[in-house]
Amino acid sequence: MRPFKYINATTGEQALQAAEQHERAKYLGGGTNLVDLMKEDVEQPDHLIEIADLEYNSIKENKKGGLTLGAVVSNSDTANHPVIRQKYPLLTMAMLSAATAQIRNMATNGGNLLQRTRCPYFYETSMPCNKREPGSGCGAKKGMNAKHAIFGYSDSCVAVHPSDMCVALAALNAEVEVLQINGKTKMMPFEDFHRLPGAQPEKDTNLDKGELITAIHLPQSIYADHYYYLKIRERSSYAFALLSVAAGLQIKNGIIASAGLAMGGVAHKPWKLTKAEQFLKGKSPSEENFQRAATIAMEDAKPLAENGFKVPMGEKAIVRALNQAYNRKV
Amino acid sequence: MKTLETSSIGKAIDRIDGRLKVTGMAKYASEFPVENVVYAQGVTSTIAKGKITSIDVTEAEKQKGVIKVITYKNAEKLKESDEKRPAFTLTSVAPVLQSPEIHYYGQYVACVVAETFEQAQYACRLVKVTYEEDKPDIDLDKNRSKAFKPDDQADYSRGDVDAGMQSSDVTLEATYTTPIEHQHPMELHAAIVSWENGKVKTYASQQILNDAKTAIADTFMISEDNVQIIAAYLGGGFGSKLNVHKHLIMATMASKMIGRPVQITVTRQQMFTNTGMRQFDEQKMRLGANKKGELQALAHHTTSHCATDQMYYEACGNVSKMLYKTPNNAVTHRLIPLNLQVPNSMRAPGEATGSFALESAMDEMAWKLKMDPVEFRIKNDTQRDLGADKPFSSRLLVECLRIGADKFGWSERKMQPRANQNGNWLVGYGVSAASRRAPYRKTSARVIADMRNGEVYATIQMDGTDIGTGSYTIVAQTAAEYLGIPVKNINVELGDSDFPVTPGSGGSWGAASYANGVRVACKNLFSKLKQNAGVAEEDEVALEDLMKSSKVTSYKVVGTAEPSEEYENHSVFSFGANFAEVWVDKDTGMYRIKRMVNVGSAGKILNPKTAYSQIIGGLTMGAGMVIAEQTQVEPHHGNFITRSLADYHVPVNLDLANIDVVFLPEEDKIANEIGVKGIGELGITSVAASIANAIFNATGKRMRDLPITPEKLIEASLEAGV
Ligand SMILES: Cc1cc2nc3c(=O)[nH]c(=O)nc-3n(C[C@H](O)[C@H](O)[C@H](O)COP(=O)(O)OP(=O)(O)OC[C@H]3O[C@@H](n4cnc5c(N)ncnc54)[C@H](O)[C@@H]3O)c2cc1C
Ligand code: SF4
Repeated sequence: MRPFKYINATTGEQALQAAEQHERAKYLGGGTNLVDLMKEDVEQPDHLIEIADLEYNSIKENKKGGLTLGAVVSNSDTANHPVIRQKYPLLTMAMLSAATAQIRNMATNGGNLLQRTRCPYFYETSMPCNKREPGSGCGAKKGMNAKHAIFGYSDSCVAVHPSDMCVALAALNAEVEVLQINGKTKMMPFEDFHRLPGAQPEKDTNLDKGELITAIHLPQSIYADHYYYLKIRERSSYAFALLSVAAGLQIKNGIIASAGLAMGGVAHKPWKLTKAEQFLKGKSPSEENFQRAATIAMEDAKPLAENGFKVPMGEKAIVRALNQAYNRKV
Repeated sequence: MKTLETSSIGKAIDRIDGRLKVTGMAKYASEFPVENVVYAQGVTSTIAKGKITSIDVTEAEKQKGVIKVITYKNAEKLKESDEKRPAFTLTSVAPVLQSPEIHYYGQYVACVVAETFEQAQYACRLVKVTYEEDKPDIDLDKNRSKAFKPDDQADYSRGDVDAGMQSSDVTLEATYTTPIEHQHPMELHAAIVSWENGKVKTYASQQILNDAKTAIADTFMISEDNVQIIAAYLGGGFGSKLNVHKHLIMATMASKMIGRPVQITVTRQQMFTNTGMRQFDEQKMRLGANKKGELQALAHHTTSHCATDQMYYEACGNVSKMLYKTPNNAVTHRLIPLNLQVPNSMRAPGEATGSFALESAMDEMAWKLKMDPVEFRIKNDTQRDLGADKPFSSRLLVECLRIGADKFGWSERKMQPRANQNGNWLVGYGVSAASRRAPYRKTSARVIADMRNGEVYATIQMDGTDIGTGSYTIVAQTAAEYLGIPVKNINVELGDSDFPVTPGSGGSWGAASYANGVRVACKNLFSKLKQNAGVAEEDEVALEDLMKSSKVTSYKVVGTAEPSEEYENHSVFSFGANFAEVWVDKDTGMYRIKRMVNVGSAGKILNPKTAYSQIIGGLTMGAGMVIAEQTQVEPHHGNFITRSLADYHVPVNLDLANIDVVFLPEEDKIANEIGVKGIGELGITSVAASIANAIFNATGKRMRDLPITPEKLIEASLEAGV
């Protein structure tokens, strides 16, 4: 690991200041991703700004009748919070499917959003990778890409976002609260938070340099009765998703009043299935409609050389997740 | 007069070193406090084939704490093999940093020595190496023309397989593949070495100390007497620590060059490229049987790879020579040199992978014959090892199959795949036979009996190692048994090459060898003391009384056990059977191993608790072979893209569910006098096929390529006739 300096910030303002002063500084959440990447020499910050002691450390109700999740609250405390378990069980289910208890105890909500891709070329500094070293080429595009994207990729990068939590947040239509360098707060709809790679795969999100995530806002709960997080992976726990589906259904009088649907492991960002959501709205929750929604969702899929399996797998996973969500006994 | 206390052997006692381990008192190689120690780290190549054109160490050497950077330019001259591609042996020399030639990605190109581990690691990044890069040979298919027969044991045949196939009513030709896998013991490879006055003393994580001593001595061209290795505890080895790897040589060289003790730890990433692996195997099977289900022909052809600069192969086909009765049998092994590190032994080398191919093929044949797979195996049982042309010392395979079937509820199995469905799950049952050679090798032990406060205490010393299997405990139990004193009065000292020589831990020979070595040492002690006391050899006298009557307060004796002629005249194997119930999701390709029943016949069980753990461990590792374990090679660059335990997936608890382990009561007195056989590898040999066979029974999809991942299951099509 390269030598670095450690700064312990106690207020958001201090943290921002430190970030502004030091060109190559990084915020340190739980460190479960950042420190690994520093050991691999992929991330090379010269300063780490500790944010554990900042005030964004609670989970409370917000004005819109939803919930605000502090950025430095741990993934474990978030997933197991009684109100989240009761009102946003989709989030609990997704979060508990991720990593291990030990990692979740360390990982923070802010850090989870900003964890970087698991593309093996990104991790191996001797390999070409545009995300790590812009202009060096994309090793995965013409190399090993079974675990890569089928939606929204570009010539310069075909990586996927690895988070489970973010897939649920996309389905739940969350918003991200950000402290800007000028000290003002902005709200970003979840869909606009992460970005597609385009010609700039080194940028995972639309955050500007030095901006600090302070909270995640959940809207009023509507999917507490019908929800499911389906994660397809190689072993039963402690593995990233080959592919995942977060599904929430709001059923009124036997009709789908609202559907929240997103996929993980298929794109550079949590992939919101907007067309399928719109299709389901106002329909009856039948196997046939679920199948139709899945077909619509996968229509635009463009698999790479090695990940053709993700298309049939994705379609089946969507149907299954919707079925499980609908049939969940309350 | 005291009567002899008997039967310490066979009791399920806790590990005598358990407390030391859980309290962190047991010291592993890198944990010994050594004064004045410095830290070494290897720099590895970033190309798979070519030549170093320059190495710039200026920046690295400028860093605070850095003492030296060693490259091929300033390295000590070491012994190298005269052959272009020498065969890998347990005593092979391990030259390192001797030339600018690069044979595989991740090869050591420099060694940085610094005052702290962190300084060494950072400076490694600053060593600038430039290469003249060649196109590496990575792809097996593209290099098939280079296939060669590795040695005289590689091929075997009896009868005429082609004729046997022709005369068969039902035949099968199928190819199975198993990927590169890594041993990845929990404890990283590590060592602390000091070279002082021409003598090497090292704390090193090694399974076989006497062989390691030879390898170190030969590499540095010094006498073996000048090498001492201490390996008191190992956090697993699984074969990867059988031989001396280059990091140990590098650290020894560093110590010699700078005159201080050197600590080296191989990183998890480097353990993918520098401490061995199981090779990729492609196994072509041909089987023929008559209508009654009697095998008429069995051929097993394996193609694999070795390094361009060293040769090794696991003999996948050996299992097909001995497991079933068939008049016509052919086995071949071919190797293709690739720009990958040399493979080495991983738990049950040959058997784990070979039995996957054979036992899957047997299941395919049973399906074609419309026979029950258990009955099909029993029909082809043999009490003679036809490959070696020797009788088995004992073989209870049929009993293992029958008892296992009964315990498992095999009769509930439906022959037709996809016939057993439960909601979204397709349920399948699978079986596989297990076998693993149970060697026994010459072993010495020292016993020191001491009289203290009117009680006898004994210390046992041997250079054997406990790689986490429970050697300390079974040695204590054996000594207690043969000395007639309680286990708590026995002190076991293992893992020092200055102690009497054993074959070490590996190849499933540890328990049998250690126990018999201890037995002979204890018997020798009695004989000597009886002689001293003038007691007749056949008289039964307690040790305490003997020592008291001859006024001996301390006595030391060495004993050596060796295989008998009877042992040599027999084929000595452990046998078993594994039954698995697997639930496969009908849509997503995910599956769960719901339960397994494993029955083993492995001679006398010295300690059911540690034995049980060995089988559980074997089954877990076997499940890993099926579920996800695989190391993937980047096709253009030749590096492994699986490079940490986050992407090299070993099984988790949730993958395994219920495991029921049964040992058949057995004592194989031909194997050795105590009747013990190895179990360290038996467990892993049967698992992969039983699970793959259960997946077939559940889904009607025949999965011939490990690991069986959700994506492969989704893409696979149904077998004919399902
Ligand atoms: C072996 C392993 C397996 C895993 N498996 C899974 C899995 O199955 N599913 C899954 O979803 N995840 C998995 N994870 C990833 C884990 O969820 C993330 O590592 C974790 O959520 C990151 O959170 P952190 O607080 O530790 O982030 P850090 O590592 O501290 O930070 C990550 C990034 O976020 C930045 N950052 C942190 N907080 C803020 C903030 N408030 N504002 C702005 N920037 C910030 C940091 O500067 C850094 O760039 C796994 C991780 C490991 C190591
Ligand atoms: S997919 Fe993206 S992260 Fe992976 S190698 Fe290509 S550019 Fe790098």
